[in-house]
Amino acid sequence: MSAIQILFWFLSGLALVSAIMVLISKNPVHSVLWLVMVFFAISGHYILMNAQFLAIVNLIVYAGAIMVLFLFVIMLMNLDKTSDPQKNWWMKLAGVISGGCLLMEMATLVRQAAEMKEKTVMMKEGSIGLIGNLGKLLFSDYVVPFEISSVLFLSAMVGAVVIGKKN
Amino acid sequence: MNAIIFSALAGVVMMFSGIFTKNTSIITNVARVALAVLIAVNLLDTYGGWMIAVDTKNLLSFNKFGFFFNTILFVATFLFFVLSGRDIEKVGSYTAEYYALIFFSLCGIAVLTSFNNLLMMFLGVEIMSIPLYILTGADKKNLKSNEASLKYFLMGSFSTGIMLMGITLVYGATGNFNLPPISSAVTGAVVSDSIIGPLGLLLIFVSLCFKVSAAPFHFWTPDVYDGAPSVFTSFMATIIKAAGFFAFIKLFEERSSDLRVSWKIIMPVIIIATLLAGNITAVFQQSVKRMLAYSSIAQAGFMLFVVYANNNSIGKEGILLYAAAYSLATIGIFAILIRMKDYTFNGYNGLAKKEPFIAAVNTILLLSLAGIPLTAGFFAKYYMLAAAINAGGKSVLWLVVIAVLFAAVSVYYYFRVIQAMYFKEGDAEVENVNNRFKFGLLIIAALIISIGILPSVLLNWFYF
Repeated sequence: MSAIQILFWFLSGLALVSAIMVLISKNPVHSVLWLVMVFFAISGHYILMNAQFLAIVNLIVYAGAIMVLFLFVIMLMNLDKTSDPQKNWWMKLAGVISGGCLLMEMATLVRQAAEMKEKTVMMKEGSIGLIGNLGKLLFSDYVVPFEISSVLFLSAMVGAVVIGKKN
Repeated sequence: MNAIIFSALAGVVMMFSGIFTKNTSIITNVARVALAVLIAVNLLDTYGGWMIAVDTKNLLSFNKFGFFFNTILFVATFLFFVLSGRDIEKVGSYTAEYYALIFFSLCGIAVLTSFNNLLMMFLGVEIMSIPLYILTGADKKNLKSNEASLKYFLMGSFSTGIMLMGITLVYGATGNFNLPPISSAVTGAVVSDSIIGPLGLLLIFVSLCFKVSAAPFHFWTPDVYDGAPSVFTSFMATIIKAAGFFAFIKLFEERSSDLRVSWKIIMPVIIIATLLAGNITAVFQQSVKRMLAYSSIAQAGFMLFVVYANNNSIGKEGILLYAAAYSLATIGIFAILIRMKDYTFNGYNGLAKKEPFIAAVNTILLLSLAGIPLTAGFFAKYYMLAAAINAGGKSVLWLVVIAVLFAAVSVYYYFRVIQAMYFKEGDAEVENVNNRFKFGLLIIAALIISIGILPSVLLNWFYF
């Protein structure tokens, strides 16, 4: 096993364990910290796939900005006490069954797919994730969605002001 | 492209109009003028008169069907502004921003009527929905409005996540985001008979079902429509829903064969579930606003017929007719509802004696929703069912019969309002009825009846 493969398996395991810990931690603050761990592991994967820009953006935006926001909300709302309302037992069962069905279906389908056989992931290949190429693509082929997405951000900003400002 | 650019610009103009004047009626008039220009610009685009040359790299493709759909929705929005402009001003202290958000939403609609790429579809859906989350919560002091907004936002985010997962899987299977699938010979390494693509399409299907509130993904609809300020409910239930259907049709007329789950099994299940959930629950409502929320689910069940009968010209004509008939009628009914003092059925008691004109218009609009002949709603429903028969022949006859039975159920709850207005004693109170409001209602009623008598006039225009 080469160093890259070892890294890949280590990061995958880390991501999976952290993701499970996000779900089963009783304390919401711990959950958020585990989520940060997941983002770090995924950023590691991006670097393995030669997508440095994506890795850095993922760290800055998700692990940085969004997670800090999560922590603020949790602390402001004082959710760190374990006070989960008791759900109906039947509701839980129904949720587990329907979610489990979807998971099983997707897992079987993806396992059977021809592309997935005997392959893990392409590593250290391709240069599409490099910032220069990404920038060129964004300003040539994908310039229309790039510009139109500004309307999306503008409306989100207007909305934040409308909701946040005092009447 | 004109409509996309201009609606975004109009949104910015509306934002600035809030700086220069605090007089809300001036802002409303600016919005009306901007929308009139938007309609004109879109019409020019339809006939190739004036177009900003933008190389969209095949991400957007413009055709007459899309332009015509834009025109119908923009005209419906214009009538909405004319009828309910006063009420938008009353929601809160950010009138200019509300109009700006509505224009941004229209920009999303213009993207949705012309996308040729899954990336653009995603952007269009998001640009259309994000302003709505805010408009739903515009009545900040009302707890129900806050709850509705949060609920809508959370559910909407989940459905967006599902859509993105679907788009990712489709990309994984085909290697590109293009709407018409490129054959595997061109892309080379990509395996065309992969199961991942259909799985992705199924996830996109689920998320679009959510957007148009088709059962079993409709649970957010009544709470959100009931909690939102009534003016914005009117906008959401009509124009936004119709645009969602357009995206649905456009995507699946290209891709439904790729979804290897049989289209003839999955669609009837969704259609019947939607008709059942909408109609049966609407029967038991006491509030007219909530009844209209469920009725919008029921109407979505009818519009789903065009998705079922995808890629046939009767269906395309039908969805244009349905969007026009349903949007106009619902906008009119909501405009009247907003000015009622009491939103329950009893609140309509004796309206005919007090305001005979408004009661008469309301009756015409309700008849149209129920699908009674000589109103637009009849031909809209007729075209939907004809499209299904045209696509499936005798084997879908049972589905059509079920739909007609549910249309008969819907007559019950629409006629309850008519009964309350004409045959019950009471003192229904309507606020702020002026001549302009009555004139707007008259135009809507006239449009509904003229489309009902001569649907071909609207449809012929489509071909010229």
